[in-house]
Amino acid sequence: MEVLNPRAALLSNYEVLTLLKELEADHLSRSKAALKVKKDESATDHGISIAPPSNNTLPPNTPNLEPSENLRTIEVEAISYLSSDYLPTCKQTEQGISKLVKDLASYSLTKAEKLQIVNLAPTLPVELYVIVEELEDRFQDNIDEILQKVEASLSGASGSVPHINGTSAAASTAASTVVTVMEEDTWDEDGAYEEEDFDDTGAGAGIEGDLEMDDD
Amino acid sequence: MFCLAEIKDTVAVHPSNFGAPAEDALVSELNKKYANRVLHDVGLCICVFDIKQAGEGKVRYGDGFLWYKVVFRMVVFRPITSEVIIGKVKSSDEDSIRLTLGFFDDLYIPAAYLPQPSAFDPNERAHFWIPDSELTTKTELLETPTSERMYIDSGEVVRIRVESDEFYDDEPGPPKATEGVQVKREPKRAPYIVTCSIAEQGLGPVAWWNNAQEAGQEDDDMDQG
Repeated sequence: MEVLNPRAALLSNYEVLTLLKELEADHLSRSKAALKVKKDESATDHGISIAPPSNNTLPPNTPNLEPSENLRTIEVEAISYLSSDYLPTCKQTEQGISKLVKDLASYSLTKAEKLQIVNLAPTLPVELYVIVEELEDRFQDNIDEILQKVEASLSGASGSVPHINGTSAAASTAASTVVTVMEEDTWDEDGAYEEEDFDDTGAGAGIEGDLEMDDD
Repeated sequence: MFCLAEIKDTVAVHPSNFGAPAEDALVSELNKKYANRVLHDVGLCICVFDIKQAGEGKVRYGDGFLWYKVVFRMVVFRPITSEVIIGKVKSSDEDSIRLTLGFFDDLYIPAAYLPQPSAFDPNERAHFWIPDSELTTKTELLETPTSERMYIDSGEVVRIRVESDEFYDDEPGPPKATEGVQVKREPKRAPYIVTCSIAEQGLGPVAWWNNAQEAGQEDDDMDQG
Protein backbone atom coordinates (compact mmCIF):
# COMPACT_ATOMS: atom_id res chain seq x y z
CA MET A 1 0.00 0.00 0.00
CA GLU A 2 1.20 3.46 -0.81
CA VAL A 3 -0.45 6.75 -0.02
CA LEU A 4 -0.15 8.98 -3.08
CA ASN A 5 -1.93 11.98 -1.65
CA PRO A 6 -3.43 12.02 1.85
CA ARG A 7 -5.65 14.99 1.05
CA ALA A 8 -6.42 15.06 -2.65
CA ALA A 9 -9.69 16.95 -2.24
CA LEU A 10 -12.04 18.15 0.43
CA LEU A 11 -15.57 16.80 0.72
CA SER A 12 -18.57 18.48 2.24
CA ASN A 13 -20.72 16.62 4.73
CA TYR A 14 -23.56 16.60 2.23
CA GLU A 15 -21.47 14.78 -0.36
CA VAL A 16 -20.41 12.17 2.15
CA LEU A 17 -23.99 11.67 3.31
CA THR A 18 -25.22 11.24 -0.27
CA LEU A 19 -22.46 8.75 -1.02
CA LEU A 20 -23.21 6.73 2.11
CA LYS A 21 -26.93 6.74 1.46
CA GLU A 22 -26.32 5.42 -2.05
CA LEU A 23 -24.17 2.66 -0.58
CA GLU A 24 -26.87 1.83 1.93
CA ALA A 25 -29.57 1.71 -0.74
CA ASP A 26 -27.31 -0.52 -2.82
CA HIS A 27 -26.82 -2.93 0.08
CA LEU A 28 -30.52 -3.02 0.83
CA SER A 29 -31.49 -3.80 -2.75
CA ARG A 30 -28.78 -6.42 -2.95
CA SER A 31 -29.81 -8.18 0.23
CA LYS A 32 -33.44 -8.03 -0.90
CA ALA A 33 -32.52 -9.63 -4.21
CA ALA A 34 -30.57 -12.32 -2.43
CA LEU A 35 -33.53 -12.99 -0.14
CA LYS A 36 -35.87 -13.21 -3.10
CA VAL A 37 -33.64 -15.69 -4.89
CA LYS A 38 -33.48 -17.75 -1.71
CA LYS A 39 -37.25 -17.71 -1.36
CA ASP A 40 -37.82 -18.72 -4.98
CA GLU A 41 -35.42 -21.59 -4.70
CA SER A 42 -36.86 -22.86 -1.47
CA ALA A 43 -40.33 -22.64 -3.02
CA THR A 44 -39.32 -24.74 -6.03
CA ASP A 45 -37.33 -27.17 -3.93
CA HIS A 46 -40.16 -27.63 -1.52
CA GLY A 47 -41.16 -31.26 -1.15
CA ILE A 48 -38.03 -32.64 -2.83
CA SER A 49 -36.46 -33.48 0.54
CA ILE A 50 -33.42 -31.86 2.11
CA ALA A 51 -32.71 -28.33 0.92
CA PRO A 52 -29.01 -27.56 0.46
CA PRO A 53 -27.39 -25.04 2.81
CA SER A 54 -28.10 -21.44 1.92
CA ASN A 55 -24.69 -20.57 0.44
CA ASN A 56 -25.36 -22.03 -2.99
CA THR A 57 -28.72 -20.41 -3.54
CA LEU A 58 -27.37 -17.47 -5.55
CA PRO A 59 -27.10 -17.98 -9.29
CA PRO A 60 -23.52 -18.18 -10.51
CA ASN A 61 -23.70 -14.86 -12.35
CA THR A 62 -24.30 -12.78 -9.23
CA PRO A 63 -21.57 -13.56 -6.75
CA ASN A 64 -22.40 -12.53 -3.26
CA LEU A 65 -20.30 -9.41 -2.71
CA GLU A 66 -21.25 -9.12 0.90
CA PRO A 67 -20.30 -5.81 2.50
CA SER A 68 -17.86 -6.25 5.35
CA GLU A 69 -18.94 -5.72 8.94
CA ASN A 70 -16.61 -2.72 9.22
CA LEU A 71 -18.16 -0.99 6.27
CA ARG A 72 -21.69 -1.56 7.53
CA THR A 73 -20.74 -0.26 10.98
CA ILE A 74 -19.15 2.97 9.87
CA GLU A 75 -21.82 3.48 7.22
CA VAL A 76 -24.67 3.28 9.71
CA GLU A 77 -22.88 5.35 12.36
CA ALA A 78 -21.79 8.06 9.94
CA ILE A 79 -25.26 8.30 8.41
CA SER A 80 -26.85 8.66 11.82
CA TYR A 81 -24.34 11.39 12.77
CA LEU A 82 -24.71 13.32 9.52
CA SER A 83 -28.51 13.18 9.56
CA SER A 84 -28.84 14.08 13.25
CA ASP A 85 -30.97 17.11 14.06
CA TYR A 86 -28.06 19.25 15.29
CA LEU A 87 -26.43 19.16 11.87
CA PRO A 88 -28.08 20.88 8.90
CA THR A 89 -26.94 18.25 6.40
CA CYS A 90 -30.28 16.53 5.82
CA LYS A 91 -32.02 19.85 5.20
CA GLN A 92 -29.58 20.66 2.41
CA THR A 93 -30.00 20.07 -1.29
CA GLU A 94 -27.53 19.88 -4.11
CA GLN A 95 -28.96 22.95 -5.83
CA GLY A 96 -29.04 24.88 -2.55
CA ILE A 97 -25.39 24.20 -1.86
CA SER A 98 -24.15 25.04 -5.34
CA LYS A 99 -26.12 28.27 -5.24
CA LEU A 100 -24.72 29.06 -1.80
CA VAL A 101 -21.16 28.49 -2.99
CA LYS A 102 -21.78 30.80 -5.94
CA ASP A 103 -23.25 33.42 -3.63
CA LEU A 104 -20.30 33.18 -1.27
CA ALA A 105 -17.79 33.60 -4.10
CA SER A 106 -18.22 37.37 -3.98
CA TYR A 107 -16.89 37.54 -0.41
CA SER A 108 -13.21 37.05 0.27
CA LEU A 109 -13.65 33.86 2.27
CA THR A 110 -10.99 31.17 2.29
CA LYS A 111 -11.73 27.72 0.94
CA ALA A 112 -11.81 26.20 4.43
CA GLU A 113 -14.22 28.87 5.67
CA LYS A 114 -16.56 28.27 2.77
CA LEU A 115 -16.47 24.53 3.37
CA GLN A 116 -17.36 25.03 7.02
CA ILE A 117 -20.17 27.41 6.16
CA VAL A 118 -21.57 24.75 3.85
CA ASN A 119 -21.07 22.00 6.43
CA LEU A 120 -22.49 23.82 9.45
CA ALA A 121 -24.87 26.24 7.72
CA PRO A 122 -24.66 28.94 10.40
CA THR A 123 -27.90 30.84 10.81
CA LEU A 124 -26.90 32.79 13.93
CA PRO A 125 -24.15 35.42 14.00
CA VAL A 126 -22.43 33.53 16.85
CA GLU A 127 -22.02 30.48 14.67
CA LEU A 128 -20.47 32.53 11.90
CA TYR A 129 -18.09 34.28 14.33
CA VAL A 130 -16.56 30.94 15.24
CA ILE A 131 -16.08 29.83 11.66
CA VAL A 132 -14.75 33.03 10.10
CA GLU A 133 -11.68 34.62 11.61
CA GLU A 134 -11.96 38.32 12.40
CA LEU A 135 -15.46 38.39 11.07
CA GLU A 136 -16.19 41.93 12.15
CA ASP A 137 -13.14 43.48 10.56
CA ARG A 138 -13.55 41.66 7.31
CA PHE A 139 -17.30 41.72 6.78
CA GLN A 140 -18.77 44.51 8.93
CA ASP A 141 -21.89 45.03 6.87
CA ASN A 142 -22.24 41.71 5.15
CA ILE A 143 -22.75 39.42 8.14
CA ASP A 144 -26.54 39.44 7.93
CA GLU A 145 -26.35 39.08 4.17
CA ILE A 146 -24.24 35.93 4.45
CA LEU A 147 -26.56 34.48 7.09
CA GLN A 148 -29.58 35.12 4.90
CA LYS A 149 -27.95 33.39 1.98
CA VAL A 150 -27.17 30.38 4.14
CA GLU A 151 -30.75 30.27 5.38
CA ALA A 152 -32.06 30.48 1.81
CA SER A 153 -29.90 27.53 0.80
CA LEU A 154 -31.44 25.32 3.48
CA SER A 155 -35.13 25.38 2.62
CA GLY A 156 -35.83 27.45 -0.47
CA ALA A 157 -34.43 25.19 -3.13
CA SER A 158 -36.78 22.22 -2.79
CA GLY A 159 -39.90 23.93 -4.19
CA SER A 160 -38.38 25.16 -7.42
CA VAL A 161 -36.67 21.95 -8.54
CA PRO A 162 -39.42 20.23 -10.55
CA HIS A 163 -40.25 23.48 -12.27
CA ILE A 164 -36.70 23.94 -13.49
CA ASN A 165 -36.52 20.36 -14.67
CA GLY A 166 -39.81 20.69 -16.51
CA THR A 167 -38.79 23.78 -18.42
CA SER A 168 -35.41 22.41 -19.36
CA ALA A 169 -36.97 19.20 -20.59
CA ALA A 170 -39.46 21.15 -22.66
CA ALA A 171 -36.67 23.28 -24.07
CA SER A 172 -34.62 20.24 -25.05
CA THR A 173 -37.53 18.56 -26.83
CA ALA A 174 -38.22 21.79 -28.67
CA ALA A 175 -34.58 21.94 -29.68
CA SER A 176 -34.64 18.36 -30.98
CA THR A 177 -37.68 19.05 -33.16
CA VAL A 178 -35.88 22.06 -34.56
CA VAL A 179 -32.90 19.87 -35.35
CA THR A 180 -34.93 17.41 -37.38
CA VAL A 181 -36.62 20.17 -39.34
CA MET A 182 -33.50 22.15 -40.09
CA GLU A 183 -31.56 21.75 -43.30
CA GLU A 184 -27.95 20.73 -43.26
CA ASP A 185 -26.39 24.10 -44.12
CA THR A 186 -28.26 26.16 -41.54
CA TRP A 187 -27.57 23.45 -38.97
CA ASP A 188 -23.84 23.81 -39.46
CA GLU A 189 -24.00 27.55 -39.03
CA ASP A 190 -25.92 27.18 -35.82
CA GLY A 191 -23.49 24.60 -34.57
CA ALA A 192 -20.62 27.02 -34.94
CA TYR A 193 -22.20 29.31 -32.37
CA GLU A 194 -22.97 26.65 -29.79
CA GLU A 195 -19.49 25.91 -28.63
CA GLU A 196 -20.35 23.25 -26.07
CA ASP A 197 -22.40 21.13 -28.44
CA PHE A 198 -20.15 21.67 -31.39
CA ASP A 199 -18.64 18.20 -31.56
CA ASP A 200 -21.97 16.41 -31.41
CA THR A 201 -23.70 18.59 -33.95
CA GLY A 202 -20.76 18.35 -36.31
CA ALA A 203 -20.79 14.58 -36.22
CA GLY A 204 -24.56 14.34 -36.57
CA ALA A 205 -24.60 16.79 -39.45
CA GLY A 206 -21.84 14.90 -41.19
CA ILE A 207 -23.76 11.63 -41.09
CA GLU A 208 -26.90 13.27 -42.36
CA GLY A 209 -24.91 14.75 -45.23
CA ASP A 210 -23.47 11.36 -46.15
CA LEU A 211 -26.89 9.77 -46.23
CA GLU A 212 -28.21 12.45 -48.52
CA MET A 213 -25.28 12.03 -50.86
CA ASP A 214 -26.01 8.31 -51.06
CA ASP A 215 -29.61 9.04 -51.91
CA ASP A 216 -28.50 11.22 -54.78
CA MET B 1 -14.02 17.30 8.06
CA PHE B 2 -13.97 14.71 5.31
CA CYS B 3 -11.52 14.55 2.48
CA LEU B 4 -10.39 12.25 -0.29
CA ALA B 5 -7.10 10.39 -0.02
CA GLU B 6 -5.46 8.88 -3.05
CA ILE B 7 -4.02 5.45 -2.36
CA LYS B 8 -2.27 2.83 -4.46
CA ASP B 9 -2.55 -0.81 -3.51
CA THR B 10 -2.51 -4.35 -4.85
CA VAL B 11 -5.78 -6.17 -4.39
CA ALA B 12 -6.58 -9.86 -4.69
CA VAL B 13 -9.99 -10.94 -5.96
CA HIS B 14 -11.18 -14.38 -4.94
CA PRO B 15 -12.29 -16.70 -7.77
CA SER B 16 -15.81 -16.87 -6.32
CA ASN B 17 -16.17 -13.17 -7.21
CA PHE B 18 -15.03 -13.50 -10.83
CA GLY B 19 -18.66 -13.42 -11.94
CA ALA B 20 -19.12 -9.87 -10.71
CA PRO B 21 -17.96 -6.82 -12.67
CA ALA B 22 -14.28 -6.29 -11.83
CA GLU B 23 -14.95 -2.81 -10.47
CA ASP B 24 -17.55 -4.01 -7.98
CA ALA B 25 -15.32 -6.83 -6.84
CA LEU B 26 -12.40 -4.44 -6.32
CA VAL B 27 -14.48 -1.87 -4.44
CA SER B 28 -15.83 -4.62 -2.23
CA GLU B 29 -12.32 -5.91 -1.47
CA LEU B 30 -11.00 -2.42 -0.77
CA ASN B 31 -13.89 -1.62 1.54
CA LYS B 32 -13.27 -4.86 3.38
CA LYS B 33 -9.66 -3.88 3.89
CA TYR B 34 -9.94 -0.18 4.70
CA ALA B 35 -13.41 0.77 5.94
CA ASN B 36 -13.48 1.87 9.58
CA ARG B 37 -9.71 1.64 9.92
CA VAL B 38 -7.26 4.37 10.77
CA LEU B 39 -4.49 4.87 8.24
CA HIS B 40 -1.37 6.38 9.75
CA ASP B 41 -1.07 10.08 8.90
CA VAL B 42 -4.09 9.83 6.63
CA GLY B 43 -7.12 9.52 8.89
CA LEU B 44 -10.11 7.30 9.55
CA CYS B 45 -11.22 5.59 6.35
CA ILE B 46 -14.95 5.65 5.65
CA CYS B 47 -15.40 4.00 2.26
CA VAL B 48 -14.08 3.91 -1.29
CA PHE B 49 -15.05 6.96 -3.34
CA ASP B 50 -13.97 5.76 -6.76
CA ILE B 51 -11.32 3.78 -8.58
CA LYS B 52 -8.99 5.94 -10.58
CA GLN B 53 -6.88 3.34 -12.27
CA ALA B 54 -6.76 -0.42 -12.29
CA GLY B 55 -4.32 -2.67 -14.05
CA GLU B 56 -5.03 -6.00 -15.68
CA GLY B 57 -5.76 -8.75 -13.17
CA LYS B 58 -2.92 -11.24 -12.97
CA VAL B 59 -2.85 -14.78 -11.64
CA ARG B 60 0.25 -15.58 -9.64
CA TYR B 61 1.81 -18.89 -8.93
CA GLY B 62 0.36 -20.54 -5.86
CA ASP B 63 -3.20 -19.30 -5.67
CA GLY B 64 -6.17 -18.73 -7.94
CA PHE B 65 -6.67 -15.10 -7.06
CA LEU B 66 -6.63 -12.31 -9.60
CA TRP B 67 -4.20 -9.64 -8.43
CA TYR B 68 -4.95 -6.07 -9.48
CA LYS B 69 -2.82 -2.97 -9.09
CA VAL B 70 -5.29 -0.26 -8.20
CA VAL B 71 -5.16 3.49 -7.63
CA PHE B 72 -8.28 4.60 -5.82
CA ARG B 73 -9.72 7.44 -3.79
CA MET B 74 -10.95 6.91 -0.27
CA VAL B 75 -13.32 9.06 1.77
CA VAL B 76 -11.37 9.82 4.93
CA PHE B 77 -12.33 11.54 8.16
CA ARG B 78 -9.59 13.97 9.01
CA PRO B 79 -10.62 17.36 10.32
CA ILE B 80 -8.44 20.31 9.38
CA THR B 81 -6.67 22.10 12.23
CA SER B 82 -8.84 24.98 13.50
CA GLU B 83 -11.92 23.53 11.83
CA VAL B 84 -15.17 23.85 13.77
CA ILE B 85 -17.20 20.67 14.19
CA ILE B 86 -20.19 19.61 16.24
CA GLY B 87 -20.06 16.59 18.52
CA LYS B 88 -21.64 15.07 21.59
CA VAL B 89 -20.13 14.70 25.03
CA LYS B 90 -19.43 11.04 25.70
CA SER B 91 -17.90 11.21 29.15
CA SER B 92 -15.90 13.47 31.42
CA ASP B 93 -13.08 12.91 33.86
CA GLU B 94 -10.67 15.03 35.90
CA ASP B 95 -8.36 15.86 33.01
CA SER B 96 -10.51 15.96 29.95
CA ILE B 97 -13.88 15.69 28.28
CA ARG B 98 -14.31 12.93 25.75
CA LEU B 99 -16.52 13.56 22.73
CA THR B 100 -18.13 11.36 20.14
CA LEU B 101 -19.27 11.86 16.56
CA GLY B 102 -21.04 8.52 16.43
CA PHE B 103 -18.54 6.95 14.05
CA PHE B 104 -15.48 8.39 15.81
CA ASP B 105 -15.00 8.53 19.59
CA ASP B 106 -11.48 9.76 20.18
CA LEU B 107 -11.97 13.49 20.42
CA TYR B 108 -10.75 15.01 23.67
CA ILE B 109 -10.96 18.45 25.22
CA PRO B 110 -8.16 18.70 27.78
CA ALA B 111 -8.97 20.74 30.88
CA ALA B 112 -6.63 23.50 29.69
CA TYR B 113 -8.83 24.07 26.63
CA LEU B 114 -12.00 24.62 28.68
CA PRO B 115 -13.32 28.14 29.12
CA GLN B 116 -11.75 29.66 32.25
CA PRO B 117 -12.49 29.61 35.13
CA SER B 118 -13.74 26.07 35.13
CA ALA B 119 -13.49 23.04 37.36
CA PHE B 120 -14.46 19.40 37.57
CA ASP B 121 -17.32 18.55 39.89
CA PRO B 122 -16.70 15.00 41.17
CA ASN B 123 -20.30 14.64 42.38
CA GLU B 124 -21.83 15.38 39.00
CA ARG B 125 -18.90 13.83 37.08
CA ALA B 126 -18.91 16.86 34.82
CA HIS B 127 -16.93 20.00 34.18
CA PHE B 128 -18.55 23.34 34.76
CA TRP B 129 -17.79 26.90 33.77
CA ILE B 130 -18.63 30.04 35.71
CA PRO B 131 -18.92 32.97 33.35
CA ASP B 132 -17.60 36.37 34.42
CA SER B 133 -16.10 35.10 37.63
CA GLU B 134 -12.97 36.35 39.42
CA LEU B 135 -12.39 33.06 41.17
CA THR B 136 -9.44 31.01 40.08
CA THR B 137 -8.62 28.19 42.48
CA LYS B 138 -10.46 24.92 42.32
CA THR B 139 -11.60 24.96 45.94
CA GLU B 140 -13.12 28.40 45.53
CA LEU B 141 -14.91 27.30 42.41
CA LEU B 142 -16.34 24.22 44.07
CA GLU B 143 -17.80 26.33 46.85
CA THR B 144 -19.95 28.39 44.51
CA PRO B 145 -23.71 27.79 44.47
CA THR B 146 -24.72 25.22 41.87
CA SER B 147 -27.14 27.60 40.20
CA GLU B 148 -24.28 29.78 38.93
CA ARG B 149 -22.43 26.92 37.31
CA MET B 150 -22.78 26.05 33.67
CA TYR B 151 -22.28 22.32 33.41
CA ILE B 152 -21.06 20.43 30.39
CA ASP B 153 -23.08 17.26 30.89
CA SER B 154 -22.62 14.07 28.93
CA GLY B 155 -24.91 13.79 25.95
CA GLU B 156 -24.78 17.52 25.39
CA VAL B 157 -24.17 18.78 21.85
CA VAL B 158 -21.04 20.92 21.73
CA ARG B 159 -19.35 23.04 19.11
CA ILE B 160 -15.59 22.51 19.16
CA ARG B 161 -12.52 23.72 17.40
CA VAL B 162 -9.92 21.18 16.35
CA GLU B 163 -6.54 22.10 17.83
CA SER B 164 -4.35 19.19 16.77
CA ASP B 165 -4.46 15.54 15.86
CA GLU B 166 -2.08 12.71 16.58
CA PHE B 167 -1.55 9.24 15.22
CA TYR B 168 -0.14 6.35 17.21
CA ASP B 169 1.18 3.24 15.62
CA ASP B 170 1.17 0.64 18.35
CA GLU B 171 2.52 -2.27 16.39
CA PRO B 172 4.06 -4.79 18.74
CA GLY B 173 7.79 -4.69 18.14
CA PRO B 174 10.08 -7.72 18.01
CA PRO B 175 10.01 -9.75 21.24
CA LYS B 176 12.72 -8.74 23.68
CA ALA B 177 12.28 -11.67 26.05
CA THR B 178 15.68 -13.09 25.04
CA GLU B 179 17.40 -10.30 26.93
CA GLY B 180 15.69 -11.44 30.06
CA VAL B 181 14.12 -8.05 30.59
CA GLN B 182 10.44 -7.89 31.27
CA VAL B 183 8.85 -5.63 28.73
CA LYS B 184 6.59 -3.03 30.23
CA ARG B 185 3.25 -3.04 28.50
CA GLU B 186 2.00 0.38 27.68
CA PRO B 187 -1.73 0.85 27.97
CA LYS B 188 -3.30 0.62 24.55
CA ARG B 189 -3.72 3.99 22.95
CA ALA B 190 -6.24 4.90 20.33
CA PRO B 191 -4.60 5.01 16.89
CA TYR B 192 -5.95 8.45 16.09
CA ILE B 193 -6.71 11.16 18.64
CA VAL B 194 -8.07 14.60 17.94
CA THR B 195 -7.52 17.34 20.51
CA CYS B 196 -10.16 20.05 20.58
CA SER B 197 -10.83 23.30 22.35
CA ILE B 198 -13.91 25.10 23.58
CA ALA B 199 -12.06 28.00 25.22
CA GLU B 200 -13.43 30.65 22.93
CA GLN B 201 -16.53 32.76 22.45
CA GLY B 202 -19.17 30.78 20.60
CA LEU B 203 -17.69 27.37 21.35
CA GLY B 204 -18.97 24.87 23.90
CA PRO B 205 -22.47 23.50 24.36
CA VAL B 206 -24.63 24.74 21.49
CA ALA B 207 -27.44 25.48 23.92
CA TRP B 208 -25.36 28.12 25.74
CA TRP B 209 -25.10 30.30 22.69
CA ASN B 210 -28.44 29.64 21.13
CA ASN B 211 -30.16 30.58 24.39
CA ALA B 212 -28.32 33.89 24.44
CA GLN B 213 -29.90 34.71 21.10
CA GLU B 214 -33.27 33.24 21.83
CA ALA B 215 -34.96 36.65 22.00
CA GLY B 216 -34.20 37.28 18.36
CA GLN B 217 -35.13 33.75 17.41
CA GLU B 218 -38.48 33.91 19.11
CA ASP B 219 -39.43 36.89 17.03
CA ASP B 220 -38.62 34.93 13.93
CA ASP B 221 -40.72 32.02 15.14
CA MET B 222 -43.64 34.33 15.75
CA ASP B 223 -43.35 35.67 12.24
CA GLN B 224 -43.28 32.21 10.77
CA GLY B 225 -46.21 31.03 12.90
